[in-house]
Amino acid sequence: MVVGQEVARFLFQRIASGALVIVFASALTFFFVNLAPGGPSSIMRFDVSAEQREALIKRMGLDKPVVERYADWAAGAIRGDLGTSLLSDEPVTQRIGERLPNTLILAGAALVVSILIGIPIGLIQALRRGSALDHLLSFYSAIGLAVPVFWLGIVLILVFAVSLGWLPSAGVTTISEDTLVERLRHLALPTVALATTTLPTIVRFMRSAALEVLDEDYIRTAASKGLAPRVVVTRHALRNALIPVVSAVGALVPRLLGGTVVTESVFSWPGMGRLALEAAQGRDYPLITGITVVVAGIAVATTLLVDLAYTRIDPRLRAS
Amino acid sequence: MKLDLSSFPFRTTSVLVVAALAVSACASPTQPGASTAPSAQAGPVSGGTVTMPIGADPTLNPWSPNAFIESLFINRVLFDGLTKPGKDLAPAPDLAESWTTASDGLSWTFKLRSGVKWSDGTPFTADDVAFTFNDIVLKPDLGAQNRASYAAVKSVTVVDATTVRFDLSRKFAALPSFLAYNAGILPKHVLSANPLTTTTFNKGTPVSTGPFKVDKYTSGQSVSLVRNENYFGAKAFLDKLVFTVVADPNTQVAQALSGDLQIMILDNKAAVDRMKSAAGLSVVARPLVQYYWLSLNQTDSRFTDVRVRQAFVTAIDRAAIIKSVELGYGSIANSPITPALAAYYDPSLASKYPYDPAKATELLKAAGWTPGANGVLQKDGKPFQFTMDVGQRGVLEPVNALIQQDLKKVGVIVDLNTMEWNSYIQKDVVRREYTATVNWWTYPSDPDVFPYYHSSAAGKGFNIPGYQDPKLDDLLVQGQSTSDLEARKAVYKQLQQYTSEVLPYLFLWYPQEIDVLSTSLKGVPELGLRDAMHYAGEWWLAKK
Repeated sequence: MVVGQEVARFLFQRIASGALVIVFASALTFFFVNLAPGGPSSIMRFDVSAEQREALIKRMGLDKPVVERYADWAAGAIRGDLGTSLLSDEPVTQRIGERLPNTLILAGAALVVSILIGIPIGLIQALRRGSALDHLLSFYSAIGLAVPVFWLGIVLILVFAVSLGWLPSAGVTTISEDTLVERLRHLALPTVALATTTLPTIVRFMRSAALEVLDEDYIRTAASKGLAPRVVVTRHALRNALIPVVSAVGALVPRLLGGTVVTESVFSWPGMGRLALEAAQGRDYPLITGITVVVAGIAVATTLLVDLAYTRIDPRLRAS
Repeated sequence: MKLDLSSFPFRTTSVLVVAALAVSACASPTQPGASTAPSAQAGPVSGGTVTMPIGADPTLNPWSPNAFIESLFINRVLFDGLTKPGKDLAPAPDLAESWTTASDGLSWTFKLRSGVKWSDGTPFTADDVAFTFNDIVLKPDLGAQNRASYAAVKSVTVVDATTVRFDLSRKFAALPSFLAYNAGILPKHVLSANPLTTTTFNKGTPVSTGPFKVDKYTSGQSVSLVRNENYFGAKAFLDKLVFTVVADPNTQVAQALSGDLQIMILDNKAAVDRMKSAAGLSVVARPLVQYYWLSLNQTDSRFTDVRVRQAFVTAIDRAAIIKSVELGYGSIANSPITPALAAYYDPSLASKYPYDPAKATELLKAAGWTPGANGVLQKDGKPFQFTMDVGQRGVLEPVNALIQQDLKKVGVIVDLNTMEWNSYIQKDVVRREYTATVNWWTYPSDPDVFPYYHSSAAGKGFNIPGYQDPKLDDLLVQGQSTSDLEARKAVYKQLQQYTSEVLPYLFLWYPQEIDVLSTSLKGVPELGLRDAMHYAGEWWLAKK
């Protein structure tokens, strides 16, 4: 099976280069955060004496050279041990394990909402190019890009949680009543806030890709063949226009995983973004490096999936 | 155009949020005064859940170096100390029933309450107290939090099952007050192997002695406490006390408005009017044992002249700072002893340095600083110019901007160097590589401020300006040497007068805390919330 071998070789190459990316990212992160001024919060506080500080530096092993510490960390990481959090004394893998699912849920929900709404809107704008509707939707996209999430988040809370009382203001669930319905109710507002920032990207990519495709000869041919406009749009135009949109989605995934800090803070959503922020502010070196490795891993995997998705959408790529 | 900073809103986010709050006020179905009619004057009832926000995941161990401010509230509920802050802030019995000091002042003996049990049913004994101090606090290699406060303690001896003796290397009259301040006793039978980093304890369900115990710790979300049926005192009224992790202060405000929180500290003071007008919430101001200061590094010869320090404090419009930054919740400070310590505080000093730029100019002139080109003061041909490091936290940024303006008016040029908090601590506190900086001290409810002022703490300890003065040292030691209240009052009155005169730090203001409480929440003593936590067992919810 020649094709199977090629696919295997392609996958192997991609996975090997992905692993290299992850190793590089971990080393870069480890050395940079250690070079940053300051230190773990337990020693960088006003009410700690010089003597306490020294004891803690020793206890955390920070008196060893950075290279040696990285070697120790890397040796553990290969075995799946990402070290111990300096801020909580818990294993880094445990801390990430607690938070990653929440981030995946929020980012996934925002992405799904963005795609389900963004693709039809982008397509409609392309089909009605220059119309009042097109301008109106472009205007809304611009607002979506411009509105700061912390502000939008607070406004959503004030309107839907405080004034109307329809939805909970923060958290992932109700402590006393942890049901699927409660979880979905808690997910609603942060998803809207986060999707507002990602939706315009998808709308814009979809609109410009569709515009380009609609000008192509084959679309005119398909239309002149007498195909129903709906078939022309969905079967021919949409499919081809989706290729750049898929890569835009691929680019959004790492941004969503690393960039939901503000949304997570406003809605008290216990995800990776807030964890990363706490880790950076508190100079929790192993935790920052661990988070980087996990996010880099997800980014590498997403890129791979996007490439595989291309081959599904575009038959020409299957050969090459 | 003149920029008037005193009315300038200090954070863009606050402005936007306040605007949003105003909008929601119009849309809110609950208007002020709608339903604040008190329920019948009934006594305390059991039941209900009170929820309180904290900024991050707590570490449930008062001596852990990772127990930051978010941990402090919950640890004060869980872990009883030998003493606790009384409702007058004087040390009151907690795990200890009574205490006495030896005639030479070199030891304190504490009689422990008998019949106390840990939340797992194991009896509490003097061994737990000895373990907490000898094996945790006094072990240098553990780096336990607050250990610097116990520098005078040599060891703790178990006299019998209900008596312990603290042996001291020097007199330490404030020990009972310090033991009321984040000094909870830990269970030897659980933590003897690993006292500070046992995560099933610190981040799980610790064994404790307080009126509540941990039911469930959910990382990033909440810590739920339930009534501790083994508690030695009256059983807690509330069924549950939940600490919910809400990092964003604006979200805390929104949650309080939607009735999700029953008690909180209002960090974003810009929201105070909105909170006041909300039905079902009451807003109270509480005194704190805290003061803001400006430290002028004494290794810089320009600041060793007391006239320069007095001139600065006269040139800074502290009333305007309190008004614009604290929205009036605070009072002018001229010494380290705060009004919250009512037994010791000397109110006559409040008006010592009224805002007076002309007077400041005179003092600076007497110190040899005269106006040069552009009105900038100079001495020996050098302009009076220096950098203040600004840590990004709380109100520090707007305060520094106001001080910069005030000093400019008397011809002193200040450059502001704003820094991320962690890096700031390293530069200014660890390395002491700074010229001037503003910050604050919070300390136990006792006027013993030895660690922040004594010469021995200059340069490396908590004496941030590095001010050294034998007369002040003498007063600090005298205050530690007698346990007699009247004698201590006299010493600390002198200390207040002396510090207000020589200004080791430039005292700025005593802040007040704004607490927001649900009107149905009763039994919370009129203390800062940190101290009120010791009384969580007395809190109760009126039936609606």
